[in-house]
Amino acid sequence: MTAITVEKAVVAADHLPIWDDPHEALYKQVTIELDKCDGCKLCTVVCPANLLELYGPKDNLKVRLKADVTGCMSCNNCYAVCASRGVYATEPYDFAGFYEQKNIGPFEFPRRF
Amino acid sequence: MSDTLELDDLEELECELEAAETAHDRTLRRRAAALEIEPGADWNDVEHAMLTRRSIRKFKGRQVPAHMIRRILEMGRFAPSQGNCQPWSFIVVRDKAMIAQMEAYCVAVCQGMTASVDYTNYPEGSEQRAAILANTQALNRASPNSFHPVPMTAIKSIANGRFAVFHRAPTVILILMDKRGVGVPAIDVGCVGSNIVLGAQSIGLGTCWIGFSKLLSSNTELCEKLGIEEPFELAEAISVGYPIGNPTQQTISRQTHQITWWENGEKQILY
Ligand SMILES: Cc1cc2nc3c(=O)[nH]c(=O)nc-3n(C[C@H](O)[C@H](O)[C@H](O)COP(=O)(O)O)c2cc1C
Ligand code: SF4
Ligand code: SF4
Repeated sequence: MTAITVEKAVVAADHLPIWDDPHEALYKQVTIELDKCDGCKLCTVVCPANLLELYGPKDNLKVRLKADVTGCMSCNNCYAVCASRGVYATEPYDFAGFYEQKNIGPFEFPRRF
Repeated sequence: MSDTLELDDLEELECELEAAETAHDRTLRRRAAALEIEPGADWNDVEHAMLTRRSIRKFKGRQVPAHMIRRILEMGRFAPSQGNCQPWSFIVVRDKAMIAQMEAYCVAVCQGMTASVDYTNYPEGSEQRAAILANTQALNRASPNSFHPVPMTAIKSIANGRFAVFHRAPTVILILMDKRGVGVPAIDVGCVGSNIVLGAQSIGLGTCWIGFSKLLSSNTELCEKLGIEEPFELAEAISVGYPIGNPTQQTISRQTHQITWWENGEKQILY
């Protein structure tokens, strides 16, 4: 069993919330794969919005979103520093609710040509 | 040969040049040809810097040596610009008190902004909430570029103290733009900044562009103190410092964008 906690936007996670829509003004979109996280604390230090915290027994610390979070900006700074790739912004930017995206293809890691 | 070079003339010229090639030229040309990269080849150093660069938003407290800042500004100086007019100058702020003053002013502006647009501060159904929501929606429609959810979230986090505008970096570079620059000087300034962030990345420094720095422009007193004078205006800022952890250890995925490819009279759509 992989223990994956998925913390997502309060409402539809398929697009970033619109600031002026009351139902979408709060969002927290980050996936934490608990079996990968070794509780090294780095992501909690680098998160610019100070959203992440460690919890659990001393020998099995894991990271989670703080209860009162409102401001994940999907910057992926947490992912960048995590050597075990345990935490990442779940839904990369898709502004479908804000403006229609045009001439856009799927997300890809750097490709080699 | 006519005054204007035709394609045929160019090819002729190329042959002439090749015939006149010295042994030394030939060596250089072959060396360049040998450098031509194979499909799927490994990244070179520049590709590596570009593909692993991240915006860094938490820095070590340690100051960056002055010579390293000079070094990345030097890379900026050689950026391309329209008409080679180089419409930029820099202000380097390494003074803790000065950065704190800049930070405090931007925070105050963000607090004012959220007070007038963040309806979530008020309970559902309340009059204030409805009034502020209406205000927000009007602003959002009038100025969609500025009221995008990501900066709005950041503004809210800045206002409540969770997010620092300059990310408490030990050095902040302000890029000033000469408004009289040829064509669109803002593009030139973007080129300078791009050289700066990539250059910094290549020597182990972390950077973050700070678009919120533009809030400083409304504080004439502070601008004067910093040394922003006509015909220059504050275009952007870049925070620089040593990154915490190793944020360049892995790449991230990014959107692909349509590429319309014209070749041999045919149009292809690639991503
Ligand atoms: C002109 C410009 C202004 C920016 N302003 C800010 C800013 O004020 N605060 C911030 O945290 N990031 C800022 N960024 C950084 C972007 O958020 C970042 O480049 C983007 O999320 C992509 O992430 P990456 O740089 O890590 O690849 C800015 C970027 C640019 C190009
Ligand atoms: S950086 Fe990765 S391993 Fe370390 S606490 Fe965060 S999620 Fe866990
Ligand atoms: S994506 Fe950015 S803001 Fe969101 S939790 Fe990660 S580091 Fe924090």
